[in-house]
Amino acid sequence: MTASLWALVGLPAAAGAVLLVAGRRADPVAAPCAVATAGLTLVAAAVAAVSRPSTSAPMLAGIGAGAAVDGLSAVAVLTVATVAAAVVLFASAEMGSDQARGRFFGLMLLFTAAMLATVTATGLFTLLAAWEVMGALSYALIGYWWGETSRVRSATLAFVTTRTGDLGLYLAAGAALAGGSGALRLSELAALDGGWRDAAVAGVVLAALGKSAQLPFSFWLSHAMAGPTPVSALLHSATMVAAGGYLLLRIEPALAATAWAGPALVWVGAATALLLGAVAFHQTDLKQLLAASTCSQLGFVVLAAGAGSVGGGMLQFTAHAAAKSLLFLCAGTWLAARGTQELGGLRGAARGSPPAGAAFAVGALAVAGLPPLPLWTAKDEVLAAALHLGPLPYAAGLAASAVSAAYAARALAAVWAPPPAGEGGAPRRGSEHRSPPSEVLPPVALAAATVGLGVLVLPAAARWWRALLGASAEPGPAGWETAVSGLLAAVVLIITWRACARGRGEAVPGRRWAGGWLGLEAAANTLVARPVTALARALAALDDRVVAGGARAAAHATTSFSAGLADLDDRVLARGVRSCASGGRRAADLARDRGEAWADGAVRAVASGARILAGWALRPQTGLLHQYYVQAVVALVVLAAVVVLMR
Amino acid sequence: MSGMEGVDPVTLLPELVLALAAVGALLLGSWTPRRRQGRVRLCVVAALLVALAAAVAAAATGTGAASGGHTVDTITHAVRVVVLAGVLATVLLAADAFADHPRESEFHVLLLLAALGTMVLAGASDLLVLAVAYLLASIPLYALVGFAKDGTGTEAALKFYLLGALSGILLLTGTTLLLGAGGTTGYEGLAAALPGAPRALVAAGVIAVLAGLLFKAGGVPVHFWVPDVAEGAPAPVAAFVTTVPKIGALAALYRLGDQVLAGAALDWVLLAALLSAASMTLGNLGALLQTDARRLLGYSTVSQVGYLLMAVAAAGGQSAQPGLLFYLGAYLAANLGAFAVVCALRTRTLEDHAGLFRDRPWLALSLVVCLLGLVGTPPTAVFVGKLALFTAALDAGLGWLMVLAAVNTVASLFYYLRWILPLFRAPGEPPEAGDRPGAPDRWSTGVAVTAAAASLGLGIAAGPVLDLL
Repeated sequence: MTASLWALVGLPAAAGAVLLVAGRRADPVAAPCAVATAGLTLVAAAVAAVSRPSTSAPMLAGIGAGAAVDGLSAVAVLTVATVAAAVVLFASAEMGSDQARGRFFGLMLLFTAAMLATVTATGLFTLLAAWEVMGALSYALIGYWWGETSRVRSATLAFVTTRTGDLGLYLAAGAALAGGSGALRLSELAALDGGWRDAAVAGVVLAALGKSAQLPFSFWLSHAMAGPTPVSALLHSATMVAAGGYLLLRIEPALAATAWAGPALVWVGAATALLLGAVAFHQTDLKQLLAASTCSQLGFVVLAAGAGSVGGGMLQFTAHAAAKSLLFLCAGTWLAARGTQELGGLRGAARGSPPAGAAFAVGALAVAGLPPLPLWTAKDEVLAAALHLGPLPYAAGLAASAVSAAYAARALAAVWAPPPAGEGGAPRRGSEHRSPPSEVLPPVALAAATVGLGVLVLPAAARWWRALLGASAEPGPAGWETAVSGLLAAVVLIITWRACARGRGEAVPGRRWAGGWLGLEAAANTLVARPVTALARALAALDDRVVAGGARAAAHATTSFSAGLADLDDRVLARGVRSCASGGRRAADLARDRGEAWADGAVRAVASGARILAGWALRPQTGLLHQYYVQAVVALVVLAAVVVLMR
Repeated sequence: MSGMEGVDPVTLLPELVLALAAVGALLLGSWTPRRRQGRVRLCVVAALLVALAAAVAAAATGTGAASGGHTVDTITHAVRVVVLAGVLATVLLAADAFADHPRESEFHVLLLLAALGTMVLAGASDLLVLAVAYLLASIPLYALVGFAKDGTGTEAALKFYLLGALSGILLLTGTTLLLGAGGTTGYEGLAAALPGAPRALVAAGVIAVLAGLLFKAGGVPVHFWVPDVAEGAPAPVAAFVTTVPKIGALAALYRLGDQVLAGAALDWVLLAALLSAASMTLGNLGALLQTDARRLLGYSTVSQVGYLLMAVAAAGGQSAQPGLLFYLGAYLAANLGAFAVVCALRTRTLEDHAGLFRDRPWLALSLVVCLLGLVGTPPTAVFVGKLALFTAALDAGLGWLMVLAAVNTVASLFYYLRWILPLFRAPGEPPEAGDRPGAPDRWSTGVAVTAAAASLGLGIAAGPVLDLL
């Protein structure tokens, strides 16, 4: 069934490419085409998840472009395809006919293909290719409304930041080659020779942290919110940002093989979960809140990878994908209906559209880690693994999950609050705004999926899940742990909700610092962007001098070429050309003299020398036939003489 | 010379089809009203496709034969395919320029006969057959060059004819001298007899024969006709004359060097290398300052002959023959493509092409691909051909020639860029842009795009194609 694997990546890639090439001509049919393609891709994903195909195409000598579906990628493939189908269906209603739909859906489908290639990649080669495509497409999608400079600036910032992390993958590929893994397989990373393994793992970790918006890269996700909401629902919940966490889970054996990677990831993950949770709490813009919460939730995936809990990490990946994308979709609905993303402006939004409100509630409660929703189970699995490393990581993780409950409560309190009596929250399109089914169905379906994943709390289901991921040996959480975390989530949720409902949410300290995303962007500007720019300026100045030197060398080479040319002409051609040779030599002498003195002049002199030479070369073309005859015959006689005399 | 009774007509099927098509086209044209000669073109295209199919089939089955002074081997196969493709492209180019011309059928007859001569030239393994093929490949072209009966065309035709007459006489003289030296005109016999023959006599004979073939190829020192014909002849004819005949001539030169003169008492390698160096350098220098697109292409073909002669100098080397044949095909695609653009736009000077990319992006891109192809930029086919010939020259101990060719290649970039850069510029003044007639010719545009695509395709599929050669 390798066909399903090819279809999985090939179908959206081909359809997306066609839509993109067709451009605005495809606008009327783009949405139905994209929905159909996403549906077929979901079918292919289901078939692939069951049949577990594997394929490899020859690419470079000894390095194949391999793709395979194993337990881990089966889960990822299904998650990605489901979310992609839901988001594309939602977008078919959301993106009006005044938008460039062909471009939008083309980019979305291509992106989906790249993400599916990323999660099925078995080697660094395929991974790198898909990873790069994904990055480029995210730039195009975030900057979808390119007419507005600020959005393009945001897209560039997000792209450049993730691109900085991406360099790690190149480092990893180089280290893998140097360390003896000629085929660049991900599964071979753990077996590399000593230092090279550390380098490869460091590279992958860097790339994964950048892509997953972990500390210190988190600030780019704030800028990524400049894109359309469906883009955020796909890229910034289930796919691109999650790819980093997924990659870490995939190379978990290699992480475990190094002494430092595991603890480092545990602390980065825990810190991101905690700090970005605080950032999320202090946002006043719903999309910004959701973005920060994405960083925070993915912190748990990173923590899981560091602590070696593949089962828990993957459950967190899947459940978060479903919950977060539905939250984004609801946010998109309300943005369209009310024209604002500010929490204050969204008061009572959920009451206006009960299906979306209910779905939002499910998603937010899941993110809060409320039992029996799946993120509760996932966090417990991850925390159980963290407890094995010591009480401190456990405590940090527990605190982070409490913070999750707090920001979820804040969002819930805002959208479920009774609408203000005045016109402050008046709906833009009128209170009778009716959402089409394609706009309501995806969030509801994703909410159902979120609730359905709660089944994994049952011990039998949990065992099956671990066996599916090949992680049967991992410890499950003890009963008291699940009780503690569930209770904590519930208590924090209720307290915060009540506090926010009474308007005391703003009183929590740390607002200035966390509201501005911890000042990460300013720090990156000061510590990285400015020094790099300064270095680039210095290098440019140096380059100017080197280029000048190169030009001087070129001038030398050209002068000697001219001399050689003149020599050759002298021997081969008759008198007319001989004088040409001396002209050339004169030009060459001229060029040489000035070339030593000053490069610019030399280049000009060579050019004029060549021009003189070319003028001489045209001399034989007199246009007079008898002179042609004479020249031809003389040349042939000279040639004959040369041949006779040379031997 | 053995008689013709041993010849299997099947091995000569492409040549026979061309001969019959020429006669058929003449008869059909005579009985067709002057205004409706388009049907002749259809028949010619059909005949060319049949001949092409026969040539490909013969090449695929590996049919070989050597009888009656004509050899059918890999060289012949490859030249047949390339020449037929070239003629087909020329017929399509002429479909724009000569449509409804009262003498259209004559044009096709002359074209077919010249192509036939070119193909026989490549297969000739007897000096007398070579001479006959030379005449067959030359005489129709004199008429074709002057086909438009205008001033420049007539002047070009006269120059072409008189230089051709000189080199034809030289070719026959050389044949006589070599007959005197070796006692035979067959290549096999000559190869056996020449090492023992008087050196001066052999040298004089060889140089005289070379003069004839160099005239056909358009190489120094009998290249004087090339720029004039390229500029003066009707555009499709110029495309044909500067491209197709030299394929046969270079194949004949290679055969002569490889099969006859490798062991003869004269420094064949040096001779060919000198001719090669002179052609590429003089052609490049001549092209450097041209402002007329077709004249520039004319000089550029002289320099291309120089590169191709590297294979003749390195004859017998491992990569010389595949390199030569591949380069010939690649050169055909690139050169015909560039001429096709000129045909389609009916432009004269380089400045006429200003702003072409904005108006006709496909045509402009084809031109860029073809011109960069002529330079030898990867991934176009000429790059692979050039690489193979550089390797062959190095293997043959001609390092200096390789370096010279490389330097020439770099220098050639200058004048091709002089043509390419204006394409991407906005046209200077309105009257300049107005010089270009509105819509480009349909068939010529198609040929240009196809040739550019072929140039790229051949370059990308170079590995398998080179293995065939």
